[in-house]
Amino acid sequence: MSGPTSRNRDILRAIATDVHFWIPLGVLLGGLVLLDHLR
Amino acid sequence: MNPLDRDLQTAAVPVSLPVDRQRLKKLQTVGMFCGFAAGAWLGGAEAPIKLVNPEISPITVSLIMVCGVFLARWSVPAFVRGTSHLRSDVRQAPHLVVWAILAGCMWAVANTLTIYAIRNVGLSIAFPLWNTNSLLGIFWGFLLFNELRYAGWRRWLGVVGGAIAMFGGATLLAIASSHEAAPGKAALGILAALGAGILWGTMYIPYRKAYLTGMNPLSFVTFFTIGELGTMTLLALGYRGARPLWGELVAARDVLFWLMLGGFVWVIGDLFQQYATKYVGISRGIPLSNTNQLWGLAWGIFVFHELRGAGGAVYAQVAGGSVLMALGAVAIALSSATEREHTSWRDAAEREGRRYGVEGEYVNAGIEGRAYQETAHRRSVFDWLLIAGTTGLFLALAMMTRLPNLNINPAWAAVLLVFMLGLLITCGAYLWRTTEFR
Repeated sequence: MSGPTSRNRDILRAIATDVHFWIPLGVLLGGLVLLDHLR
Repeated sequence: MNPLDRDLQTAAVPVSLPVDRQRLKKLQTVGMFCGFAAGAWLGGAEAPIKLVNPEISPITVSLIMVCGVFLARWSVPAFVRGTSHLRSDVRQAPHLVVWAILAGCMWAVANTLTIYAIRNVGLSIAFPLWNTNSLLGIFWGFLLFNELRYAGWRRWLGVVGGAIAMFGGATLLAIASSHEAAPGKAALGILAALGAGILWGTMYIPYRKAYLTGMNPLSFVTFFTIGELGTMTLLALGYRGARPLWGELVAARDVLFWLMLGGFVWVIGDLFQQYATKYVGISRGIPLSNTNQLWGLAWGIFVFHELRGAGGAVYAQVAGGSVLMALGAVAIALSSATEREHTSWRDAAEREGRRYGVEGEYVNAGIEGRAYQETAHRRSVFDWLLIAGTTGLFLALAMMTRLPNLNINPAWAAVLLVFMLGLLITCGAYLWRTTEFR
C-alpha cells in the first residue's frame, strides 16, 4: 500500500518546501522561547 | 518539480474564471457582516469570564476556557452541517490539517503571552501592542496572498487608514479601561505583548491559506482546536505541574461553567471571524472583528459598572476611542475588494492549488461559497452524540455552579444579549442563504 504513504510524503514535502510554512513556524518557536524567558 | 505539481497537471481544473459581479458583491457583503458579528460575539465572550474570581491562576483560566472552546469547535460544526463534511475536506486538501494545527498552537502561545503582558505592563500598554496583529495581517495579506493588489488608493486608504484609526481607538479604550498601574519587568511585558501581536498576526497566514484553497471554516476550526488544546494543556502542565493543576481545576469547579461558557461564546465569534477572513480576506476581516474591544467595553461599563466614579477625562477617552474604532471599521467596510483585486486573489488560490495538488474545481467552489459536489451529508450518530454530550456536560456544570455575588445590571445585559442574538440570527441567516455555511 504505497499510494497513501507516498501521497502523505508528497504533502509533507510540499509543506516543507513552502516558504509560507516557515514563517509561522519560526514565529511560533520564537514565541515559545519568549514564553520560557517569562516563566 | 514537486510531485504534487505533476499530479495537478493531469487532475486539476485551473482556477481562472472570475466570480460573477453580483455574486462577488454578495460574498463581500456577507464577509463584512461576519466581521461585525465576530466583534460582537468575541467581545461578549468576556462577560462570563468577568463573573469569575480573579484568584484562579490565569493559565488555569485559559486552559478551562480552551476546554469549552474545544467542545464548541466540534459540537457547533456537528450541529450546523455534520462532521461528515470534514472527511471530504480532508480528502481534498489534507495538507490543511497541518496548517490548522500549527495555527492552533500559535493561538495558545499568543494567548498565554498576553497573560504575562498584562501582569507586567498592564492592559493599557499591552492591549494596543498586541492589537497590532491586524496591521501585520494586512502586511501578510498583501505580501503573500495578493490582497489589496489593484485596489486603488481609495481602498488602500480605507483599509490601512481604517486599521490605523482602529488601532488609535483601541489605544484610547485600553488606557481608559485599564485599572492596573504598570509594575516592574516592563521590557519583558512589552516584549510579551508584541510577541502575542506577532503570533496572532502571523496566525492569519494559515487561515488565508486554508480559505484560498477552498476549505470550509467549520472544518478548519476542528483541526485548529487540536493544536490549541494540545499546546494549552502542555503549557499548563509545564507551568503549574500535574498535581497542582488538578487541584486548581477541582477548586475551580464552581466556576467551570462560566469559563467554559466564555469559551463557547468566543467560538461563535471566532467562526464569524473565520468566515470574514474567507470572504473578505485578512486585511479587512481581522480589523473588523477587532471591534470586539468596543463590545467588551460596553459589557464592562453598562453591565459590570466598571467605570463608575471615573472622571470626565476617562469618559472622554472612551467616547473618543469608540468613535475612532467605529469610523475605522466603517472605512474598512466601505473598501470591499474590486473585481480586479479578487482576480489577483484567485491567482494566489491557483498557486496554492498547484503547490498542494488540490482540484481546481474544489478551490473554485470554495472561493465562490458554493457546493463542490452535490452530495447529501447527513448528521451521523457521532454528530448527535457530540451535540448531546456537550449539551449534557454544560447542563451538569450549570447545576454545579453558583451565581457570583456581583453587582450587575440585568437590563443592560439583556439589551446586549438581544443585540448579539440579533446579529447571530441575521448574519447566520444571510451566511446560510449566500453560502450554506461553506
